[in-house]
Amino acid sequence: MISVKNIYKDFGTLRVLNAVSCEIKDGEKVVIIGPSGSGKSTMLRCMNLLESPTYGEIWLDGKLLTPADPYLHPAVMQTSKTYAKLYGKMPDEAEVIRAIKEKDLLKKHEGRAYQAALKEVEKQNQIDINLARQQMGMVFQHFNLFNNMTVLQNLTLAPVQLKLKSKEEAEQHAMQLLTRIGLQDKANVYPSTLSGGQKQRIAIVRALAMNPKVMLFDEPTSALDPEMVGEVLDLIRELADEGMTMVIVTHEMGFAREVADRILFMDGGQIVEEAPPAELFTSPQNPRTKEFLSKVL
Amino acid sequence: MDFFHKIIELFSTPKYMESIWEGLKTTLIISVLAALIGLLLGTLLAIVAIAKDSKWTKLPKLICKIYITVIRGTPMALQLFIMAYVIFAIRGFPQIVTATIAFGLNSSAYVAENIRAGILSVDIGQTEAGRALGLPGRTTMLKIVIPQAIKNVIPAIGNELIALIKETSIVSMIGMYDLTMAAKIIGSGNNMASYIVPMTVVALFYLGIVYLLTFGIKLIEKRLRASDKR
Ligand SMILES: Nc1ncnc2c1ncn2[C@@H]1O[C@H](COP(=O)(O)OP(=O)(O)OP(=O)(O)O)[C@@H](O)[C@H]1O
Ligand SMILES: [Mg+2]
Repeated sequence: MISVKNIYKDFGTLRVLNAVSCEIKDGEKVVIIGPSGSGKSTMLRCMNLLESPTYGEIWLDGKLLTPADPYLHPAVMQTSKTYAKLYGKMPDEAEVIRAIKEKDLLKKHEGRAYQAALKEVEKQNQIDINLARQQMGMVFQHFNLFNNMTVLQNLTLAPVQLKLKSKEEAEQHAMQLLTRIGLQDKANVYPSTLSGGQKQRIAIVRALAMNPKVMLFDEPTSALDPEMVGEVLDLIRELADEGMTMVIVTHEMGFAREVADRILFMDGGQIVEEAPPAELFTSPQNPRTKEFLSKVL
Repeated sequence: MDFFHKIIELFSTPKYMESIWEGLKTTLIISVLAALIGLLLGTLLAIVAIAKDSKWTKLPKLICKIYITVIRGTPMALQLFIMAYVIFAIRGFPQIVTATIAFGLNSSAYVAENIRAGILSVDIGQTEAGRALGLPGRTTMLKIVIPQAIKNVIPAIGNELIALIKETSIVSMIGMYDLTMAAKIIGSGNNMASYIVPMTVVALFYLGIVYLLTFGIKLIEKRLRASDKR
């Protein structure tokens, strides 16, 4: 479903993601855990390009979302001036490519052939980012419901604006979703009148109103009062049981253990360890994972 | 008692009332047209100012920034003089146009700053939520950010319009006949030979205009606020 290929993310001189790769398979539930500042949110936000990775590529269902990264395409690298210069100085072609990649030798101007080759990769594979985002629902820590709209308008805005549904269809679907979470009577109120738990559940169904293929959750319960955490987790659990593909960043270890097919532990901008929850929680391999788990469990 | 007699005299002398009416007309025309220019141009400037950095927006953004800095960093009277005696120093050129443009340009810089701040004050999460749903940047701006920004900006824009109306009184410095100038002329020796009365009357006119405007803005604010509290 989602392929993260060797992404790096720099904020100025700070490297927040450092060579991260992972695959999210259809129907899989992946939970990302890790200490504060380890790059979990950045990683999730790179998946739908709310942050653009500095290097690397993101793919959704075989379609490229980011610009093409030449370092991931040896055939493109071979058309570069740098390659031409090094060619012959090293034993074989693979060696040249490795050298270029390791030392990050590619410059801005690598010649016309190279530019054309890179463009061709994009032409073959790239998908419009707005189209891709329609297939990926995102749920934020702070809900981010549109304050200037009623609950119903929050749910119908995108499907109607993007001409995926007529206003009536969108409203009907929205009412179904609201009924599902028991908030149909809140359809015509503004978000400022809702509790945190209600807001987050509405934010989740707002994403569902687009019929996404995958849902991304960034600490969906961290901004909630403790008594409201349960209702939100219940809803996410329900979606999981229905087979929704999801990537969840959370500090709720119990929930992670219960819902995840696989846990990624991140630290210092890297995926340090990944394993099914039963394994990762009971017998972590990496010392950093052990240390982190000893603090939070 | 003399004061009240004089006020009655002012109001019952057609010549004086005509002077006031003439002045009021000038003040209102300049204010309204300049406000329109200010709002339109100011919105445009704000949109340029908050545009993402790219090679296409670099120059417009720089020009925009310099423009706003210069306008806000120099006195209004000086800007008016430059318009009247340098840029439109053409014999017979209508002064009202000169003044309208001078005040419109001045106002646009302040409006731009207000709108820019208003847009930036909308939580970035609102934009992110819109974009994450797959909405294009333009739709997100128009449907989500701008409506919230307007609410934040109305009071500041209102203040700017009030300041503008009062500022127009300096057009007398280029010899224009506005409400303030009318007071001066009516009070002069060959008319009433007393400044206090016409000045007081004109002050009340300004107060009345500002009061009406404030009232209107409060009404709009209340309307807009009704949408998020229910
Ligand atoms: N827009 C930004 N500009 C500069 N630095 C940023 C930006 N966003 C994140 N960072 C930095 O990147 C690092 C990783 O941030 P990130 O939000 O991904 O961490 P996190 O693992 O989600 O942490 P938390 O558990 O606290 O949410 C942090 O050091 C943070 O300060
Ligand atoms: Mg985070």
